[in-house]
Amino acid sequence: MGDWANILYVVVVSTIRMSVPMILASVGAAFSVRAGIMALGCEGMMIAGAFFAVMGSFFTGSPWMGILFGITFGIIFSLLHGVLNIRYKVNQTLSGMSVNLLAAAVAPLILQIIWKSKGISPKVESFKKLDIGFLEEIPILGSILAEQNILFYVTLILVVVGYYYMFKTPQGLRMRMVGENPVAANTVGINVVGYKYLGVMLSGAFNGLAGAYLSLAQLDMYIDGMTAGRGYIAMVISTFGKNSPIGAMLGSLFFGFFDALQTIFQGGVIPSQIVRTLPYVLTMLVVVFGLKSARNPAGMGKHHDE
Amino acid sequence: MDMLQMKNISKSFPGTKALDSVDFYLKEQEILSLLGENGAGKTTLMKVLYGMLHPDTGEIYYKGEQIHQKSPLDAINKGICMVHQHFMLVPAFTVMDNIIVGNEPKSGLFVDEKKAREEVKALISRFNFNINPDTRVEKLSVGEQQRVEILKALYRKADVIILDEPTAVLTPHEVDSLFVILRKLKEEGKSIVIITHKLRETMAIADRINVLRDGRMIETDIDPKNATIHSLSEMMVGRQVALGIKRPAKNIGGVAFKVEHLKVVEDGVVKIKGIDFSIRRGEILGIAGIEGNGQTQLLESLTGLNTPVSMKITLDGKEIKGSADKFLRSGIGHIPEDRLTMGLATEMTIRDNLILGYHKSPSLQKNGILSSKKINDYSNKCREDFNIKTPSIDVKAKSLSGGNQQKIVIARTFSHNPDVIIAAHPTRGVDVGAMEYIHSKLLDLRDEGKAVLLISADLDEVRSLSDRILVLYEGKIVSESMPGDLSEVQLGLLMTGNKIDEEVKDEIREID
Amino acid sequence: MKSGKLINNRFLKSGSGSFTTSVMAFLLAIIVGGILIEIAGFSSLATYGAIFRGSLGSTKGIVLSLSQATPLLLTGLSFAIAFRVRIINTGAEGQVYIGAMAAALVGAYVNFLPGITHVAVSVLVGMIAGGMVGLFIGFLKIKFGASEVIVGIMLNEILILITAWLSTGPLMTPGSATAQTNPILETARLGRLVPRSQLTWALVLAVIIAFYLEWMIRKTTLGYEIQVIGSNLKAAKTAGINVPKIYLLTIFISGAIAGLGGAALSLGIHYRFIEGISTGFGFAGIPVAALAMYSPAGVVVSSFLFGALRAGAMTLNRTTSIPIEFVSVVQALVVVFVAAPMLIASIKKNLMKPFNGIRNKRESIKGGDA
Repeated sequence: MGDWANILYVVVVSTIRMSVPMILASVGAAFSVRAGIMALGCEGMMIAGAFFAVMGSFFTGSPWMGILFGITFGIIFSLLHGVLNIRYKVNQTLSGMSVNLLAAAVAPLILQIIWKSKGISPKVESFKKLDIGFLEEIPILGSILAEQNILFYVTLILVVVGYYYMFKTPQGLRMRMVGENPVAANTVGINVVGYKYLGVMLSGAFNGLAGAYLSLAQLDMYIDGMTAGRGYIAMVISTFGKNSPIGAMLGSLFFGFFDALQTIFQGGVIPSQIVRTLPYVLTMLVVVFGLKSARNPAGMGKHHDE
Repeated sequence: MDMLQMKNISKSFPGTKALDSVDFYLKEQEILSLLGENGAGKTTLMKVLYGMLHPDTGEIYYKGEQIHQKSPLDAINKGICMVHQHFMLVPAFTVMDNIIVGNEPKSGLFVDEKKAREEVKALISRFNFNINPDTRVEKLSVGEQQRVEILKALYRKADVIILDEPTAVLTPHEVDSLFVILRKLKEEGKSIVIITHKLRETMAIADRINVLRDGRMIETDIDPKNATIHSLSEMMVGRQVALGIKRPAKNIGGVAFKVEHLKVVEDGVVKIKGIDFSIRRGEILGIAGIEGNGQTQLLESLTGLNTPVSMKITLDGKEIKGSADKFLRSGIGHIPEDRLTMGLATEMTIRDNLILGYHKSPSLQKNGILSSKKINDYSNKCREDFNIKTPSIDVKAKSLSGGNQQKIVIARTFSHNPDVIIAAHPTRGVDVGAMEYIHSKLLDLRDEGKAVLLISADLDEVRSLSDRILVLYEGKIVSESMPGDLSEVQLGLLMTGNKIDEEVKDEIREID
Repeated sequence: MKSGKLINNRFLKSGSGSFTTSVMAFLLAIIVGGILIEIAGFSSLATYGAIFRGSLGSTKGIVLSLSQATPLLLTGLSFAIAFRVRIINTGAEGQVYIGAMAAALVGAYVNFLPGITHVAVSVLVGMIAGGMVGLFIGFLKIKFGASEVIVGIMLNEILILITAWLSTGPLMTPGSATAQTNPILETARLGRLVPRSQLTWALVLAVIIAFYLEWMIRKTTLGYEIQVIGSNLKAAKTAGINVPKIYLLTIFISGAIAGLGGAALSLGIHYRFIEGISTGFGFAGIPVAALAMYSPAGVVVSSFLFGALRAGAMTLNRTTSIPIEFVSVVQALVVVFVAAPMLIASIKKNLMKPFNGIRNKRESIKGGDA
């Protein structure tokens, strides 16, 4: 392939690779927001997912167990955000930040206790590229797909399932109502508290999975700080994508593209650190200029008994 | 057979007994009106019936069997539905989604949208509601939204429908439409309870009237044909109520406050379409109108809280423009529409709230540093002069009753000797005793020669206090009259955009 | 202990919540921390004992505690003052970095100023740098409605990267193996309060600022307006308070104090800017502020508590004790518990139950005077 085509190919492959965790995280954020709970704890849930996934894989030798651990602990941390906010009516930003702080503190602690390491875990069993057999022969698309691992396909399925769940099932309708007007939802007998927890736990599961992808698919270890603010970016993507799984996916691809550009330009004329600021600058621009028409559910932060 | 019986229902909240051994029954196929003042306990009683609250004592019998309402779901399943005063709708959802949510027809794992649409359309046409199920609720008028609420009850096959203050937000025309619907529902076999404090409407629609006062059922079985406005209001309040103009102005002076060419545009919609008016010294100018016709925008313009497209305000000849701060400094006092969201910082003390807006006055601070002594003296004086009932001025404002909270707002506004007072819904959510007090203070201020602008959705308040009445409809002044020139019915017509050469003959309405 | 005179109930009631909530939150966090220690296989009593001895049991320990407290005091004040108007300044970490860098540059390259002036100017520049970043965040919030929470975190990453680039590229000390800028001149050094320790005059400066802020909030019209905005934004606007102006002012102060935190690091401890100069101090300010219920005077106390905790943990024997990272966990737990006054209230109620039972019994025997 020509030089430009080569670059394009690398960009596309990278975009998809970088987008997967963002897609998962922002879909998770979307569920949380739809249930009326700000998704500020995503970073913490992702950290928990990334770390405990590695632990799971380390102790069982199986990356799938790692995934399970990642999701489980993502849910556990999300419950902290949930309980604080739903049961104890804590300010959402504070409860979200406390999840982030806690996860960011717990991971290095356990890292130190178990592996006596300051910030890096040992390598573990991870996900390799998935052998797609004959599909690889498809021109262009085939080679792109060949570079992906199984979690990519899992993610696609989850996006579709998520979309149908949110917009076509009774539970999805009820969850959305809980987010829009919890008091009204209560008057028609909807279990407001239940759906809020569901939303939060789904975000925990998705973000945990996203973190696990970072540590078990993109890499094969846990490194302190590896989430690098992605949880916050996921929040922005979710709002940008109108809190819908499809929108979240498109938004993530958009961001993933710029994230991918940054790995490509490394080692070039522009210093690597400056290039690495690209995703953050982009997020800021979106937050400042791009969220004008974005609308969060009217009942964000409200409870059913106010 | 009685459809519904509530026996010996009591419910207390910390500090108050909301319901005291209340007995209540509802017959089949009747429209029952549950009458009472704000805070009498009507909504509490219905919330107990609807499963939103659990009573301390008492039983409920429905169709002869005792039932225990643990949650609204229980009520809905039994066929008891409630249309709340503040609509329980999701503006962003369609009419259809709002109606079916919680009781969705299913097809496998998914919502059966086709079936839902069919069922909803059938109901709509059966009752002539004239709504498109795919419209988003936020685009509907208030009357239409109420119909969606009623559809929710009908969709769930309710036999008992409770309506909480259904006419509070409707125009007289919409009230008529509602009554037509209610009568049709009764014909179809439904039993209806209307919670209200509107006497005229009660007498127009109810088959039977109950009166609740201070948590006690005073009278059941009142026949509207034998009742009068006066007898009912006496029962509601417990004493003779003076209805009518309270204190005519003695000394109206020259023009003090003049508003010219006021035009306000909000989100691309013209909310105030170019109005002019003036207020004289020693005069209360009342602006009547149904909420949503530009009152909020008018208030914001007169207090510096928005930027009108055009406006000229002069106070004693001097032009006033700028920020809210500028308006306050210039002697324009403001009693905000909603004291809890706009007038008070409820987590702060009464003392702190008494200086709000005036904290930069030279009488309370110097060089940016607040003077504890001066603030102390000032606060104690306010408390005395305005009869603020509180054990101490260092308690949080949120611990006071609505009436006392409003007194804080009034105390601070009046104490700084404004030349003009802009009073918005000054007695909303305030008990009768405090309301009379606030009215008398407003009249005192007027008699001292100040100019007062009264904007209120309470037509009785406007008619009894004002020396001159304007009607605001869709951002325009459509009428100016002296008290007594126009009847309540005529004002009501103007408030809904009608001209008053239409004759309306209705004995019940021409009480005054 | 400088903060001794502050154990006064009324003084510490501010923002939201009360002194009891703070105390209980801290105790709960310590207790849960103790449970973690046990789970990890160590003795919680022994650990806390050692921490106590290491931090408060000797002069050396107290000095260490105070020096650990200093950056926390500054970032704590930064978060607290912004939170009083409900602005969540997550950008403190970035402001620390920019403050550290700016101060270090003035310290290293401006060579015509005498001693005290040089220090003062360097500190000031660091503060202004932090303040300007804060101002930028505030501006975006006011003009575009951009959430300062997200913008702050994005700026953190951006500023850390930019300063990292500067210290490994154009401004790097020639021939140096590590990422650092040129050392600052002697005249710019922030003096040590105690020789051979890390305790500098920054502490004094910080405490002065804390008390000034506390006074300002309670006694001035500006402070009053800040309180009202924090309590009810709409009422503040209706009352004519110029909210955007106060927002900008407050977030500038917040950023400047965080910048001071950075300057204290580069001028007082490392005497230059180095990559990774702040190990999360920006975020560590959040628990400090939360525990103090966002009262500046309270931050003095809570920063000392956390500083002592850190100092004590630093002296723990590496092999026989829980790693120092558990301090961060305790800190994070404090935020959890402080943020949930209702949680504390229900725990309190459950704790008091046995006591209430005894009290009732006693009263009925007495005949009671209810």
